[in-house]
Formats: sequence, C-alpha cells, structure tokens
Amino acid sequence: MSPEDLSRRMFLKSSGALAGASYLRILAPGLAVIAQAACTARDAEAPFAVLGAEEARDFAAIAARIIPTTDTPGATEAGVIHFIDRAFGAEMSGQLEFARNSMTEFNNALRGKHGDTARLDELDEETQDDFLTSQEQTPLFNMVRTMTIFGFFAMEKYGGNKGKVGWDLLGFDGNHGPWTYPFGYYDAEVHGGTNDGE
Amino acid sequence: MASKTFDTRKEVDFVVIGSGSAGGILAKELSTAGFSTVVLEQGPYRNAADFTHDEYSVLIQSELLGGGNDVHGQTFRHYEHETAGPPRDRITPIRYAPGVGGSSVHFTANFWRLRPVDFQERSLIGPISGTNFTDWPITYEELEPYYTRVDWEIGVSGAPGPFDAPRSKPFPMPPMPIKSSGVLMEKAAAELGWHAQPEPHAILSQPHNGRAGCVSCGYCMWFGCEAGAKSSTLVAMIPLAEASGNCEIRPESTVIRIDTDDRGRASEVVYLDRDGVEQAQKTKAVVLSANGAESARLLLMSASPQHPDGLANSSGFVGRNLMFNQHSLATGVYEHPLNDYKGVQVSRIIHDFYDTDEKRGFYGGGGIDARPLFSATPIFHALLGTDPNAPRWGKGYKDVLAHDFTRTLCFVGSNTSLAMDRNNVTLDPESKDASGRPAIRLTYMDHDDDLATAAFFEDRCAELHDAAGAMKMWRFGIRPNTGGEHLLGTCRMGNDPATSVVDSKHRSHDVPNLFICDGSSMVTSGRGQPTMTIMALAFRAADHIKAAAGAGEI
Ligand SMILES: Cc1cc2nc3c(=O)[nH]c(=O)nc-3n(C[C@H](O)[C@H](O)[C@H](O)COP(=O)(O)OP(=O)(O)OC[C@H]3O[C@@H](n4cnc5c(N)ncnc54)[C@H](O)[C@@H]3O)c2cc1C
Repeated sequence: MSPEDLSRRMFLKSSGALAGASYLRILAPGLAVIAQAACTARDAEAPFAVLGAEEARDFAAIAARIIPTTDTPGATEAGVIHFIDRAFGAEMSGQLEFARNSMTEFNNALRGKHGDTARLDELDEETQDDFLTSQEQTPLFNMVRTMTIFGFFAMEKYGGNKGKVGWDLLGFDGNHGPWTYPFGYYDAEVHGGTNDGE
Repeated sequence: MASKTFDTRKEVDFVVIGSGSAGGILAKELSTAGFSTVVLEQGPYRNAADFTHDEYSVLIQSELLGGGNDVHGQTFRHYEHETAGPPRDRITPIRYAPGVGGSSVHFTANFWRLRPVDFQERSLIGPISGTNFTDWPITYEELEPYYTRVDWEIGVSGAPGPFDAPRSKPFPMPPMPIKSSGVLMEKAAAELGWHAQPEPHAILSQPHNGRAGCVSCGYCMWFGCEAGAKSSTLVAMIPLAEASGNCEIRPESTVIRIDTDDRGRASEVVYLDRDGVEQAQKTKAVVLSANGAESARLLLMSASPQHPDGLANSSGFVGRNLMFNQHSLATGVYEHPLNDYKGVQVSRIIHDFYDTDEKRGFYGGGGIDARPLFSATPIFHALLGTDPNAPRWGKGYKDVLAHDFTRTLCFVGSNTSLAMDRNNVTLDPESKDASGRPAIRLTYMDHDDDLATAAFFEDRCAELHDAAGAMKMWRFGIRPNTGGEHLLGTCRMGNDPATSVVDSKHRSHDVPNLFICDGSSMVTSGRGQPTMTIMALAFRAADHIKAAAGAGEI
C-alpha cells in the first residue's frame, strides 16, 4: 500500500458514513455561490441556508466539544457550523436526511439520560464529554467530527476557519508560499541563520 | 497557443492515445519530427493557472482524479475465485489524473533511475516460482542516453549518490535544498552506518529551458504546480508539440476502441467527444500511452472477431503482471518544529537496501525517503497524521494538533513488486463507468516476498526514527495492496511474442502499426518511483518509431 493510497484510504475510513457517492462529487462551479453565501453568513452571523436554527445549534454543540474553545479559538469561533450548513446544501446534500435522523436519535438518547428537555450545550462540559464518549462509535459522531475538521481547516471560502484560526492552531503559515529556507529547527544550521521553528 | 486541427476523416500519421508521462513525450517527439499527430486525451486541458492549493477540493473531492468511484465504477478482489465488488472503502482502486499531462501533473515527482541490476535481476538471482519474473529485453546501457535526455529536456534536479548507476552527463541542476526531515535522516543514517543522499526530483531547483524554478510552496503530492516548476509533460513537452504546427491536442476525447482493417492493421481510433458523441480519427499508426491500467482496458475493449481476446493479445498477457510497488512507513514526532509542510516532500533518501539480499530470505529491495506525508496539509494531518494513541477529539486532540503538526515526519519505504498472472486488469462483466465503458476490474494480491520486503523496510523506517531521536513513533504494519498509483507491467516488453505484448522497440507483436509505451511496458517494478523510466522509455520508443516511419517500415 503506497503512502498516497494509505492517506486517502485512512481518510475515508475515518470519515465513516460520510463517504457517500454524492460526497465525492467534484465541486461544480455553481457551488461557488453557495460558498460565498456561507462566508457572508459566517461573517455576519446570519441565519443558515439549510439547517433550522435549532438543528444548527445541535450540530454546533457537538462541533464545539470536538475542537473546544480553550485559551485558543475552537470550532465555535472558527464558524464551523457555517461550513456544515453550506456542505449540507452542496457536496453533502445526500447525507442530510441521514444526519437529521441520526440527530433525532442522538437527542432521544440524550434526553433518556438527562431529562426530557435536555440540550447538549446546556449541560456542563464534563457531562457533555461523557455523553459524547458514549456516542463515539456512532456514524453521526464520526460524521460531525470529520465535518468539524473540514470546517476548521479548509480554506475560509468554504464557510469556516474564520480568520484562519485553524491554521494558527497548527502553526501552519498559510497555503500560499513561497517559503524560504530554513523552514525549521533542524535545517537551520545547514542553511545558516537560526530558526527555532516557532 | 491554439493548436493545429485535423479532420477526423483524413488520415494523420499518428494518433497518440493519452497525453501523460509517456504520451506527452511521444506527441512532442513525433510532431517536432514533422509527423502529423493527433493526441486524444480523455481529461480536460488545464493550465498552471487552473491549479490551486485548495486541499478540500483536491484531496477531499478528488478534483484532479476526475471524481470518485461513482464515476469510475471500478471493482476489486484479491483473488480470481472471488467476485469483484465495489471497493469497501469507496476509494477508486486505480488512481491517476485524467487531463493533459496525465499523472505527471499531480505526481510527487520523486525521480529515480533504475539501475543495471533492475534489467537483469532474473539472470542474477534465478527464477521465482509462481511468477513471471524475467529480464528486460534491453539493458541499462541502452536506456542511459534516454535517462539523460529526460534529465535535460524534462528537467531534473539532483546530485549523484553513492550507489547510483553510471550517468553520461551530470544533472542539469543542483538538488532541492535539504529540509529538516532530510537533516534528521542524515543524522540517523550516519549513526546506523547507512548513506543518506539528495533526492532527485522532476522539479526545477532553478530556472531551466525557459521555465521558472520551484518556490517551495509545498503543494506537490496530489496537486498541480502553479509555478510550472514541476516537470510534467504539460509544461515540458506539450507546448513544444503544439508549437511544431503538426500536433493537435484533443482533450475530453475518451477513446473506446481501436479498429483494425482487413489486413489486421490499426486504421482508426474511435472515441467519445466532450458531448458523448462517437467520433473516429483515421490514422496510419497508433501510439497507445493510456497508462498501465487504461492501455490494457482499451486493448481488451477492442476485441473483434479477428482479435477475440482483445487487440494485441495473442499472448494473453494484456492486463496481466500488474505491479503496484509495495510500500511501508513509520511516523515520528520530534522535539523541535520541522515545518516540513514547506517545500518538496522529500529531500533525502537512503538506497543501502536497494539490491535483493539472499540473507534476508526473500526477493526484493527498495529505497527509503523522509517526508511530511500526512503533515503536508492541515486537513490530512488532522484526520490522519495524529498519533493513533492520542485522543481523537476534545482538548487532548487539540493539544496534539497544536504540538505535532510542525514536528511530524514519516520515513517511507518504496519497494519491489513481482509480476504474476494473478495480478491483473480485466473488464468487469457488469459494472460500467460514467461514460458507459466496461469498468476496470482489479484483481491483486501481493506476492509473499513483496509483503516480506515491505515489512523489512518498515523495520528500517522505525530504526531511523530511533536513531534520529524521535520523541514518539508509530507504524501501521503491512497490508496487501487494494489499489495503487504505480500502474506497471500490463503490456510488457519482450522478445518472445508468447510471453510479452510489445517488442523491445514498443511495437506490438500482433499489430504492426500499433505501438504501446507507458507504465505498462515495464518488465519489473523497479524500487518505486517508476516515472523516470517511463519517460526514458518514451524518448527511446520515439526514436525507434521515427526511424521506422522514416524508412517506410510501419
Ligand atoms: C499522487 C501520486 C503521486 C505519485 N508520485 C510519484 C512519484 O513521486 N514518482 C514517480 O515516479 N511516480 C509517481 N506517481 C506515479 C506516476 O504519476 C505515474 O507512474 C506516471 O505518470 C505514469 O505515466 P503513464 O504515461 O504510464 O500514464 P499517465 O501519466 O497516467 O497518462 C495516461 C494518460 O492517458 C489518458 N487516458 C487513459 N485512458 C484514455 C482513453 N481511453 N482515452 C483517452 N485518454 C486516455 C489519461 O487521462 C492520462 O492523461 C504518482 C502517482 C500519484 C497518483
């Protein structure tokens, strides 16, 4: 198995249920318009195109625990929910019904455990994480995890990664180049100059 | 540049099918020699300005692969007695880039010559049962001048290593500068008594032939190069072909059949144009360069009463002997940032284990490189590049992302694959691709020696991390191939028409005006990085084809 192969293979495995046919469809030109709308919504914190407000709140709540806000921005600040909303109207539209049904099951399980009116984002963080741990193997959780990663790290034009906070977290200087040597700590002595890589 | 256009109903000298690593070179060589040439390429005609650093589109949405397996419909099985089905993980088993320039556009551009041993290994170490392991009909010495032409005309950067085969001319330009991953590999190799050497690349380290040098943006693997510094045939050959005034590049033209006349000669090439309408280009001769999977599929699809098992297939070898190269890897995290996402993937390699060593107890060899791999781009790193023992979400996950992205490096082994009957491309009896063609059915199970070799290399990769001082390290174990990007051996060269598809000059044994040259021509797999050899073979084939055409012998 080649590294290129392994990389793609592991990606699809890790993204689980979301690897449906429509998902892998090439981005059609018309999708640029939807992407633009998602960015505008993210920046203005405007309503969602596909998801209802309550639904969006549920997805955003899970995303907020997958990449939480700490001393650095998390999924919430990155506007990941706008990526998710956009994707459900475009390349992942084929997954929307499945996601909605799964979210109903998710909420039923949550309410079975924490009371009839429970909402994930109203529980304290530890309780949220305990509940999510119980859901870790579900397709919904893996789907939202993968979409959160996409929304946190894809280019801003897809609706999330607001202010490139995802890239800042990694220490990724951006997707543009050109870069000049040395790049890191270990090549600095070869290329002259110093670089602590930070 | 607007290319010349030819009438489909008027016979041209050559139709070249496919414009990739081999086809792009053949198109340039034949057209600049004065032959009228039509290149039929199924994919689109993109230019440097069309290539982006959009990871979501390129890596996640398969932008340059022409979409996912819903488009390609390929099926897979390990063994012939199984029924092939859609790949379980939905990844297209056979992966290449349809488009002008083919897979030379999105490849990583690691660029190794074969060595003399690769051409004569069967004579040196003897037969291997259950395989079609054999010598090439040509030697390294015969191919060497063409490797040198690739160096200079396509554009290769590098510096000689301690075990390299002899070269008649130096590299035209110095290697790409060393990165932190290369420094760590050098350090580890010195400790272990191995030899790290600069990686040769089909990427310009400085301006050459009117093209700009690399700007170290880091988007090589799976991406097209916006700077034009990656030496694809799209930038190195196609412009020269078009400038000759004898060449028409006809993109979005999917060939579905090669038709033969009463004398058994190829007479026209039938294809679907961009609207799906069937067209046929008349021609005096055909050069098939559609790659190691598609050339075989097309010959099998061209079966006719005269050629019931497919065109050029009297040997039954069309589609057989597919070799992917096995691979292995180990990932390590280091104390300080490497920022290895910048620049080309690989800057140093180790070739101490290239040759087969009988003491290991199995056939095979390979090379090891140092590269970011998953940690070259953010999404891939977050999905695949993190420590499998670390949390997958929450604060712990976020901490690992923040710490490891800039500090991660992979050692990757590229290894041999043996040619076997059981590893092949056939037409799926049911599945069709989006164009309505019978889909590729892949049957593949690595030889035990290939798996053993890969395991041997995984151990060496892990040793390198130890010697380089990795703070943590993980590996995946070796799994049999279920698909690949190196598509080799399915129309192999040979002197014996009973056990090969083309002769040593790439002319098919059965159809005198049909030439086949691409990854399918390779007799053995080499040790990974086959494209330098595919390109050298194309320059060499072109010389023979031009000579035959000039002498009226086609
Ligand atoms: C991600 C990736 C990384 C790689 N990295 C490396 C590397 O670092 N080093 C290395 O040596 N190799 C690498 N490779 C492999 C390399 O790309 C191939 O070995 C090489 O390009 C094969 O050349 P080819 O001429 O045989 O076929 P291709 O370059 O695939 O060209 C075949 C062309 O024919 C066209 N075609 C096929 N069927 C038809 C049809 N029916 N009608 C019309 N046109 C058709 C295709 O669209 C394509 O353009 C990599 C591959 C991938 C996918």
